[in-house]
Amino acid sequence: MTVAAEDGIDLFIPHVYDMVWSAIILVIVALFFYKYFLPKFNAIFDERSSKIEGGIENAKKAQKQADEAKRKYEDQLSTARVEASKIRDDARAEASHIIADARSRADAEASQISQSAQRSIESQHQQALVKLRGEVGTLAAALAGRILGAKLQDGAVQSQMIDGLLDEISDNKQ
Amino acid sequence: MNIITLAEVAGNLSVIGYGLGTLGPGIGLGILFGKAMESTARQPEMSGKIQTIMFIGLALVEVLALIGFVAALVIK
Amino acid sequence: MVGVAGIHMLIAAQGGPDLPTVDDFLPPEILFQGTPFAINRIILVRIVATVAMLLILGVSAHRAKLIPGRWQGVLEMGVSFVRDNIVYEVMGALRGRRYVPMIATIFFTILVFNLCGIVPGANIAATASVVMPLVFALWTMVQYWIAAVREKGLGRFIRDEVFTPGVPWPVYILLAPIQILELLVIRPLSLTIRLFANMISGHLMVATCLAFAQYWMIESADKLMGIPVGATWFVGGLLMTCFEAFVAFLQAYVFAILSTVYINLSYPEQ
Repeated sequence: MTVAAEDGIDLFIPHVYDMVWSAIILVIVALFFYKYFLPKFNAIFDERSSKIEGGIENAKKAQKQADEAKRKYEDQLSTARVEASKIRDDARAEASHIIADARSRADAEASQISQSAQRSIESQHQQALVKLRGEVGTLAAALAGRILGAKLQDGAVQSQMIDGLLDEISDNKQ
Repeated sequence: MNIITLAEVAGNLSVIGYGLGTLGPGIGLGILFGKAMESTARQPEMSGKIQTIMFIGLALVEVLALIGFVAALVIK
Repeated sequence: MVGVAGIHMLIAAQGGPDLPTVDDFLPPEILFQGTPFAINRIILVRIVATVAMLLILGVSAHRAKLIPGRWQGVLEMGVSFVRDNIVYEVMGALRGRRYVPMIATIFFTILVFNLCGIVPGANIAATASVVMPLVFALWTMVQYWIAAVREKGLGRFIRDEVFTPGVPWPVYILLAPIQILELLVIRPLSLTIRLFANMISGHLMVATCLAFAQYWMIESADKLMGIPVGATWFVGGLLMTCFEAFVAFLQAYVFAILSTVYINLSYPEQ
């Protein structure tokens, strides 16, 4: 072991070779950091942040597109819904229309049928009446002739009597 | 072992001097960091500025202890 | 520390432990003796540490990819720590961008050099000679003078710093010399000595613990008492080594942030 004769102050006295080596090392290290290490890492940091920013931008764009598509679909859906309800309404209106039509047509037909039936009944009635009148006249004349016999040879009295009878009948009838 | 060797003090007085010299800076550092923490707790948004000022203070306080260290080594 | 040397001599006379002395920091020249390029142990450690650091960082930077691996993540954490937590925190991004490489150089180099103190085989911090910290401190000083001249002009800087505004004039008789001393001597020297002293005391503490552990466990005749005492010293040495790792980081951080603060002081307040 050496004698500890060196003063503590020697610690603070710089040696020339120490300075030389310190300076050389400092310059080398500083050059390394200034020219290579930090630019490299800064480039990586920048690239990464730009990548992240780009990623966020892309995500935003995709989100926007999705939103747009969704809105479009929703629009389409609502228009389709409106259309469907319109069609349904139309169909319903048409159906009621058809029903009403059919009903009115049936009504008309029914009334026509009943009218024609009425008319035919009336004409048959008329026919029957006319026929009856003729038959009743001759029948009554024959009947009266038979009853009265010869009393009524005078044609004039005969026809006068028949007419009066007929009028009475028709008056009664009315 | 006689009475004289029993009472012998080995070493160097400058070490004791340095020990005394650290007392002041020690207290100073305690106050400095304590206050810095306190003010950071009160106003966290000022922490950067407080830290900067704290380090300036630290440099000033530590100079005293460092002078003590150098003196202990240099003065025989 | 001379005290330690004194004890050392006293006990050495009785065949005590091989305690460390300040001579550890004044090793003999082993290469190119007598020339300006002489190399002693500390400088050898320094050169080896530099080469190792440049190789490791250079290869890592060369291989650096966009998606970081584990090691690159650690490195990036270091870089962004220096950039965001030291430089931008003190100066702000706009002013600080120029100084990021400088502060990164200071921080990483001092960190690596300090850690040499606990690397087996080196066992002495590469910053444990006065010149290496001094060179960093002088670099800082040059930078803050340049910043002052560029941003404020020399006259205004000296006026602002030496004749601090808002002080009654008689005080200047006392204050002005102190401020000049502060600008020219105290700032760089305090930076230097803070780092240097921490490295010296750290080495002495670790080495003392280990020397006592060695002495009590191996060389002491009284094994019954020697083993436990030596083991205690060894645990102390272990703790001191961990503490040294912490101090290595802390001193690099303090040096870097004080450099930044000093440079920032040269800028006008916004």
